[in-house]
Amino acid sequence: MLELFAIQSTVTLDANMESAGSKVPMRLQAGSCLRTLSTSRDPREIANSLSTLTSFLENAEFTRLHYTHALQVLVSARSCQWFRSLSDDDEVGRPWHEFVFTGPPDQTLLVLLDTISSTEECAGLDRCVSVLEKFLSVGRLEALLWSRCVVGGVCSDSSQLTETVIGHLAALPSITSNRLHTKTPDAFLPQQYYPLLATNILCTLEKTCQALRGGQDCSLGFVAQVLGKVCIQGHSSFIFAALVPRLSSLTRTDPLWQRVMQKLLEKIPERCMESVITGLILNLRGAAVVSRLMGNLVVTNKKAQFVLTHKLVLQQYQHPTQLLKSLLGYLALNAERRPLLKQVLRSVCQVWCNSSAIKHTCVEQQLYVSKALMLCVALLNHSEIEELREEMLQCMLGGVQCRLDSNIERIRRMGMVVGECLSQRLDVPGSQLKFKYEPDEEIRELKSLMESLSTKDSEEFEPEHQSDESRRLQPESETSLTQSVTSQSGRDSDSELDSDDDLTPYDMSADQEKKKSVPPRYVRDCLEALMSSNDAERVELSLHAAESLLRRKGKATQEVSVQFSKVLLHLDDRYNTEGFQVLRQNAMVALTVTDTKPVVEYLTTEFYSLNYSLRQRLDILEVLALSAQELSAPITNKHTGTQPIAAVAAQDQSDDITHWRQIVEKRIQSKTRCISKGATQMVQAVPNRYAPVAGSFIFPLLRNYDRSQVTFDLLGTDHLVLGRLLHTLGLLMHLAINAPVASQMGRALLDFVWSVRFHTDQMVRRGVMFAVCAVFLSMPSDNLLTDLGDDLMETRTWLADVAENDCDTDCRSLAVQGLILLDKNLKTQLQLPDVET
Amino acid sequence: MARPPPNPLYILRGSGDVVNTLHFCCDGQGPSLLYSGSGKGAIHVWNLTTRRPECVLESHSGNSVIWLQALKESSTLISQGRDMRMCVWDLSEGRGAVTDSLLTGSVGFCQCSLLETRSGSTLLAHPTENMEEVSVVEMKSWTQVCTLKPHLKLGMLMCMKMWQAESGPVLCAGYEDGSVILWDVSHRRPFSCLKAHTEPVMCLDVDVCRQKGVSGSSDNILHSWTINDQRNLQMHSSVQLTNPGVSSARVRADGKILATAGWDNNIRVFGWKKLKALAVLQHHTDMVNSVAFSDHQDPPQRLLAAGSKDQRITVWSIYSES
Repeated sequence: MLELFAIQSTVTLDANMESAGSKVPMRLQAGSCLRTLSTSRDPREIANSLSTLTSFLENAEFTRLHYTHALQVLVSARSCQWFRSLSDDDEVGRPWHEFVFTGPPDQTLLVLLDTISSTEECAGLDRCVSVLEKFLSVGRLEALLWSRCVVGGVCSDSSQLTETVIGHLAALPSITSNRLHTKTPDAFLPQQYYPLLATNILCTLEKTCQALRGGQDCSLGFVAQVLGKVCIQGHSSFIFAALVPRLSSLTRTDPLWQRVMQKLLEKIPERCMESVITGLILNLRGAAVVSRLMGNLVVTNKKAQFVLTHKLVLQQYQHPTQLLKSLLGYLALNAERRPLLKQVLRSVCQVWCNSSAIKHTCVEQQLYVSKALMLCVALLNHSEIEELREEMLQCMLGGVQCRLDSNIERIRRMGMVVGECLSQRLDVPGSQLKFKYEPDEEIRELKSLMESLSTKDSEEFEPEHQSDESRRLQPESETSLTQSVTSQSGRDSDSELDSDDDLTPYDMSADQEKKKSVPPRYVRDCLEALMSSNDAERVELSLHAAESLLRRKGKATQEVSVQFSKVLLHLDDRYNTEGFQVLRQNAMVALTVTDTKPVVEYLTTEFYSLNYSLRQRLDILEVLALSAQELSAPITNKHTGTQPIAAVAAQDQSDDITHWRQIVEKRIQSKTRCISKGATQMVQAVPNRYAPVAGSFIFPLLRNYDRSQVTFDLLGTDHLVLGRLLHTLGLLMHLAINAPVASQMGRALLDFVWSVRFHTDQMVRRGVMFAVCAVFLSMPSDNLLTDLGDDLMETRTWLADVAENDCDTDCRSLAVQGLILLDKNLKTQLQLPDVET
Repeated sequence: MARPPPNPLYILRGSGDVVNTLHFCCDGQGPSLLYSGSGKGAIHVWNLTTRRPECVLESHSGNSVIWLQALKESSTLISQGRDMRMCVWDLSEGRGAVTDSLLTGSVGFCQCSLLETRSGSTLLAHPTENMEEVSVVEMKSWTQVCTLKPHLKLGMLMCMKMWQAESGPVLCAGYEDGSVILWDVSHRRPFSCLKAHTEPVMCLDVDVCRQKGVSGSSDNILHSWTINDQRNLQMHSSVQLTNPGVSSARVRADGKILATAGWDNNIRVFGWKKLKALAVLQHHTDMVNSVAFSDHQDPPQRLLAAGSKDQRITVWSIYSES
């Protein structure tokens, strides 16, 4: 670009020479000076020529036509001795600096940057870099920007040149670091350069304001373009972090500043609009500032409107809530903009109650949209709500229903909260929604959006103001604190006279309410109490006693195990017993563990039979999973419950220091040459109780899944159970690791999973992924590959697809896990023959 | 972690039946004694040094003994039995004979109250065949001083305590409907009435020095109340018990702690000032009928005894270090 530009200027130079005779002396003089500069070694001569050139800077034609050339010559004289030893104060240095730093800044910038990017590494390059640093530090950027603001100034430039200047201004860090790599001075790094640019822009705007007050016209087009270019290159955060604090305080008092800012934003090129607005609004706090800075831009500018009312609300969701607050508050602040708020509400409503959106967007986005909805509704006034009542009601009913249907608790809760708040706002007498849920951080935040929405600035950019306030507050709080302390101590001394504090109480934890009946002592008593008793206390005692009773009296348990399971499965929490679910579940697990075969057979058959509630079916699954877990613990140490095999083995080793077998094995190992990769630690194999019965857990559950019944439609509406079933199957599979039956189990499970892998519900897909991972983990790798066979590639592509495209984060991460496991299996399988041969 | 509650100092076994009432006599002369009255009419005199019964007095023709009290001066014991009689025993020099008796006609469970006035006369308040009525008699001659009967229908008389105030003897009585009445015995009129409980008042005790009393009932709330200068009963504080039913309550002579006998087999100890729960003493396997604090002169020696339906008497030393 510069090459071309230089040629252009020389051409005009020649043309000028012919046409305008009067200018010849200047041109000739300039030429001779330049010649001297490139050849001479005498400092006096050089200084003379430099000051002659400097004197030409007054001449408009010289600055327009010859300056670039002169500068190029000067900079290309870098090989000369004088250029290298140039210092700021000697007789050559001073005129040189004057020439460079008072000339047209745009040309200087272009020449310097071009020289830097085209020069090989040498002393001259360093010199150029330092000149450019100086150029930035003496505020030439501001001069550059300002020169373009003045109407009738250098506006005669070609648009191409302007583009080039803007490009170079915006990309200075990239251009310099491309050449200088690690030696780039700090001043050129984005962290420093862009804030500097921002302050220069601010100064320029200040000058503009002054000029406007003086009655002079200014054009902000150039500054706007620079701003746009910087933002679209992704540096908006640097720029606005520096700009926004000053701007928000300046616009607070000065309407002229507001107008200037609004004009500036209007002039932003359309393609940069999005990045500028997003950057700006992200850095602003409070709707009022947004309104001051942007004015009615959202009404006048189509692109801005699209970005603000659609893109930021509905298409993106990574922004903090503050952005939504500022944005929607901004829309609400002005009567002209309020129709847009209603429009936003309508579109948000549509998205919120769309059931397919709930299924196919991730939870974070749904949360974001919910927040937007709450904020919109909070901002509407009474008449507007009346106007939009129908739509909001539709949205609320549809959206809440879809969400309550979801299997994911977070989504359900979101639906409940938004539903509650909306119905409260709609204020339908007697028909307000009310839900029961445990409030967490997220819920509280959502709810707070509805309550405290002020359009006032919560600006933190006024240090004087704030510190003043805090200073005023501090002593007050201190005094009140001391007051409260004294009053408390006063009360203390009062009460001390009349308290029992000198006597320290004993432990009174044994003081419990007396039970009228005694806990059952026999399994049959317990069963009978649970089956037929109407005495709440007796039932409770029996429930409490059941687990230990069943475990202690194995023989008696075996006689009634199936009957007992039946009673427990059908047991209702009639007396609101504390911890009912857990007690019942523990008892059922105890039964399953004590008398595995018949109970498991009973439970697995009942899972698919008629007339059970979803809760009961889920209970069955949980009991099976927990029992399997308990059974799979190694037999050797029964009492510690479930513990990973490796840990148990390690413990054994450390415990028996003098175990002869270990010593012998160590000796053998020390005498044996092992031909294998690395040292494989031998884990002692320990039998467990699960492996022999694993099949009876899993196969019956896989049998009847597609037989839909009146009360139970596993593949249809009851996807909650399906999700849990898949998860449980995965667990059962994983616990069967190392069992002989594992490969058959894995094969059957994969077959089952295959038919539901594209289920629309996230929970089910999570279950599928979990089961697949479990199969990959537990199945012996050679069996896995032979069984998977043809489906192998398809499985891989399916997993890859899920890992990339699924809207649920858990699904994606599980799919990645599955892929890794599969690849690991593949690798060991493919490497094994190599080692053997 | 609070320290675990203490174990009993010792246990007195062999009363042979339900222990209904206990009375200490440890005022210096002779060995420390504990009298206990059983459900079969036996009065055991326990020697606290040997921890064995000195003697067993068969009385009240096998009917339950519900109250025992020793007179301060002579070694005389007064017992009340379910045979509607009061007996006066002479225990001096190893004797054990009934010297006098009085037919009260009362069939209820209300215990009597004894007041030894400074002038030397001894007053006894006892229930009568009229269930709501208290009769106060002079012990020497069995002459009736007065009868006190509330005007309102308050139900049966449940418990009472009489003491000497400056103006004359005062009696505090608890009734079946949960009211507590403070009687002026000399003028035969009530000072004030306080509806303390919703259930019958099962027991009460008054700390004469602090003009403050406590009442327990068959519900699970223990109330303390004060007697002000105008002789009005005022509610002071209350405490909720884990299990309902208090059969006996006693304030220790130093006014520091209060012990209650619970239907839930537990003895409870509270701070007397604010009824702050201090300890739950668990030992008995059946409901506790009676608690008593010993009248040792030396505070560290003061004991707490509890008699229970499980036929045992436990003796505890609690908060006895000064």
